[in-house]
Amino acid sequence: MSSDESYTSLPTSHLLGSVPAVISEEKVTSAAHIPEANLQIFPPNNNGGRQGYQTMASPSEGDGQQYPNSWKGVFSISSYTQYFNVDTDVVLNRLTSSLFPSGDFFSKIDANPDLYGLVWISTTLVFLIASLGNCGTYLMQKRSISNNPWSFDVSYINMAAGAVYGYALLVPMVFYFLLQYLGSNVSLVRFWCMWGYSLFIFILSSFLLVIPVEFIRWTIILIAGAASASFVTLNLRSYSQMNDLTVVLVAACVLQYGLAFFIKMWFFA
Amino acid sequence: MSQTQHDHNDTVALHPSSQSDIDEIENLINAGPSSVLPAKPPSPTRASIPVSSSPFIPSNIPPPHPSAPTSYSNKPVFVPQAPPPPPPPTSHGPSGFGSGPNTLTEPVWDTVKRDLSRIVSNLKLVVFPNPYREDPGKAMRDWDLWGPFFFIVFLGLTLSWSASVKKSEVFAVAFALLAAGAVILTLNVLLLGGHIIFFQSLSLLGYCLFPLDVGALICMLKDNVVLKLVVVGVTLAWSSWAAYPFMSTAVSPGRKALALYPVLLMYVSVGFLIIAIN
Repeated sequence: MSSDESYTSLPTSHLLGSVPAVISEEKVTSAAHIPEANLQIFPPNNNGGRQGYQTMASPSEGDGQQYPNSWKGVFSISSYTQYFNVDTDVVLNRLTSSLFPSGDFFSKIDANPDLYGLVWISTTLVFLIASLGNCGTYLMQKRSISNNPWSFDVSYINMAAGAVYGYALLVPMVFYFLLQYLGSNVSLVRFWCMWGYSLFIFILSSFLLVIPVEFIRWTIILIAGAASASFVTLNLRSYSQMNDLTVVLVAACVLQYGLAFFIKMWFFA
Repeated sequence: MSQTQHDHNDTVALHPSSQSDIDEIENLINAGPSSVLPAKPPSPTRASIPVSSSPFIPSNIPPPHPSAPTSYSNKPVFVPQAPPPPPPPTSHGPSGFGSGPNTLTEPVWDTVKRDLSRIVSNLKLVVFPNPYREDPGKAMRDWDLWGPFFFIVFLGLTLSWSASVKKSEVFAVAFALLAAGAVILTLNVLLLGGHIIFFQSLSLLGYCLFPLDVGALICMLKDNVVLKLVVVGVTLAWSSWAAYPFMSTAVSPGRKALALYPVLLMYVSVGFLIIAIN
């Protein structure tokens, strides 16, 4: 880890005029970036509560107890506000860029990854597929000849919540650990952010999936799955600098298609 | 010691402090705040005496008398004040504040009536915002959680009653959605850097559910799809309109939509549950 910090610390050591031997590693790396934004470590430091940039003067105030990778700030809200430091237009920009897969999403979020997108896109997706799935069964029941009374199926909500939240939380974690093991240097928060925004296209397609024609439904889900999977794989490839990652990329693509088909088959059968 | 003191008082002066132990404890408790708030000119020093020393002063006074003038310079200030304090706290406890000492011994109906009137007043302030009212912040200062609790449970019960299958699951989903949703919405505002107080926000989001409660009740009584759509649409708009000023002023203007969208999402999902459950 220190070899990583050494080349990012060059500008700061130039400013300091001496080798910053005593300053802890976190302060050295944070001089050129928003602090803790390129977070290699998950438990956020207490220092992250300060908004925006830290100048060279401010790191010294009151954070004598700052350690890298400490768990001290886990239960305080202020240490998580750094992940929600976005405005409306930034979020809208990221949403629209998730619809057009190009490999530059990670460079866009590099300075300021946000978890707002992950949380609320997945929550919206849960609500939409549960409710529109019920609408779909209602429309199909009206078209069919049988006179079974339609009833709202509440278990759709449970299933949707389990599937979407489980996918959005676990899959990035699995890829993070896998890529760390294979030697690449990736950040978990950015993975969560990217996978969260990749679910946005399913929100748009779920509105179209209500149409009770089977052929149209399959077409829509194939297009949505393709767009989302290509978004994920292109960004994964451009982010991790290793070249022999084909298996990992194929796995990511397959998982995204799997989610798309699961949504189609369980909720819009 | 205090018991003998009271017996002494009873036999000597037939003082109104022939009280039960509970009243005595209440007076001790309430003599604390009642000694701080009234701006009575006599003695700021007396403010510290009634709470801790009314059982003790009468027995402690004789010894310091001979030694006070010689050892401490400020003791004489306390000493002459000491005899007056014991009677006044016991007499101005019951007369100073009407509800102070009586909340433990008042009838249950009084407590319930007081809480209900607070719920109604909070409801009027939150859900029927009146631009001409004199104290716009009052609902926020007097927040309580009984009102939101009633409204959430009522909505869950109404939805569960109008469901034809899986009634208990419907109640569980509705309750979990609303309760967890209120907490998560508040956390969302806090994480976006907004300034709200956690329980105030829970209280306000719970009170803003009242129009949806009314809508759910109407939809339960009359099962017609068009009527349901209209009623839920109107009540949804009303709930969102009631919650809007509170949420939008809590965050910076660049993030207003980010804070308001989850509120809208929660109310739309509840509205959808009301329409769809039959």
